[in-house]
Amino acid sequence: MSSKTLIKQGAEAKLYSATFHGRPCIVKERFKKSYRHPSLDQSLTNQRIKSEVRALLRSRMNGVRTPTVYFVDLETSQICMEEIRDSVTVRDYIMSVQKSQSLEDSIVQLKPLGRKIGETLAVLHQNNIVHGDLTTSNMLLQSDPMNLNLVMIDFGLSHFENLAEDKGVDLYVLERAILSTHPNSDEFFSEILDSYTQSNPGSADVIAKLDEVRMRGRKRTMVG
Amino acid sequence: MKGLFEATLLKTSLILDPFQVIVAVNKAVHQQKINKMMTKTVHSEILFSLSPRKNISNAFKTFGMGDKDTSVFVAILNDHDKSTMSVIQNLIKGRQVDPYQVSELTNLQSIKEVYNLSETELSVSNTLDAVVSRIASKDIVQV
Ligand SMILES: Nc1ncnc2c1ncn2[C@@H]1O[C@H](COP(=O)(O)OP(=O)(O)O)[C@@H](O)[C@H]1O
Ligand SMILES: [Mg+2]
Repeated sequence: MSSKTLIKQGAEAKLYSATFHGRPCIVKERFKKSYRHPSLDQSLTNQRIKSEVRALLRSRMNGVRTPTVYFVDLETSQICMEEIRDSVTVRDYIMSVQKSQSLEDSIVQLKPLGRKIGETLAVLHQNNIVHGDLTTSNMLLQSDPMNLNLVMIDFGLSHFENLAEDKGVDLYVLERAILSTHPNSDEFFSEILDSYTQSNPGSADVIAKLDEVRMRGRKRTMVG
Repeated sequence: MKGLFEATLLKTSLILDPFQVIVAVNKAVHQQKINKMMTKTVHSEILFSLSPRKNISNAFKTFGMGDKDTSVFVAILNDHDKSTMSVIQNLIKGRQVDPYQVSELTNLQSIKEVYNLSETELSVSNTLDAVVSRIASKDIVQV
């Protein structure tokens, strides 16, 4: 691996840009939390890495695009993966669309993206892949965003579970993230749910759970 | 020929691109560094790393050059003075070609079978990416 340039310092991981034997790559390094016991910390950190690697591979095997993994180093808690070049996060894309046109026009323009995200989540959930941290920053669009070449990333909190509850929470996390990050995004999220429901025949239970979790969330904010 | 030189002799039909070997070598060298090799030498570890499964003898049989093979992909480590290379060049009666020409000898159908690649996956991934993802992830997830 060549020398690394720090590109992002998150709460749990540092991201570097580097090259792996000539290919542009992203090195995601999970670092230690000083307040945790060292050996517990190492095993928790490695648990995240293993979840991420497992879900990256299983997603791609089921037809959802994810970065190619080049190297995993559990000693230094690093994953070296393909850099999705010429990409924007869905977050940045939505913001640029909303900034450049009227609300009505941007709703129309974002519709196909909402459909694509719904279909993609349906595939993940049908294969029992629960992402665990669905936000618009954890979705990339490669090349021209209009081509909807969607790449899913950041699977460190993922798990494999055939529970409607977990899938419902997955959708709830995304709903909260979208509504709080993007103003006037209700219709965008509805589009995601519509296409999720249409492409996932067993989704009735998941939607019921989503409604349940929404109710709980509402009660909590009313009390607190 | 045992003990004459240290190299890995790979079955060309299961090599898609030199990058596939690079990912396996990278992993083998890492396992050697941390003293966690599953096989005796780093050169045999390369064969093991190439396999998507954990059975060692199976990996050797599948990815090692066979008696009847008429071509071979040679991987040599730490050959700074090219001494191993010249031993091998003298031993093998054949024409040496650019490693990238291995693609002319690849059997794509065998690759798909050995690495368990589905059309669903290949609709979002090229074959090389699908293969190297498995090599890099093998200790954590197997297909
Ligand atoms: N493989 C990749 N290719 C291109 N950009 C990436 C890649 N992985 C991460 N990024 C960028 O880095 C950001 C943070 O990465 P992420 O895996 O989500 O880590 P974190 O846990 O810090 O959120 C992403 O939002 C994206 O912009
Ligand atoms: Mg993220």
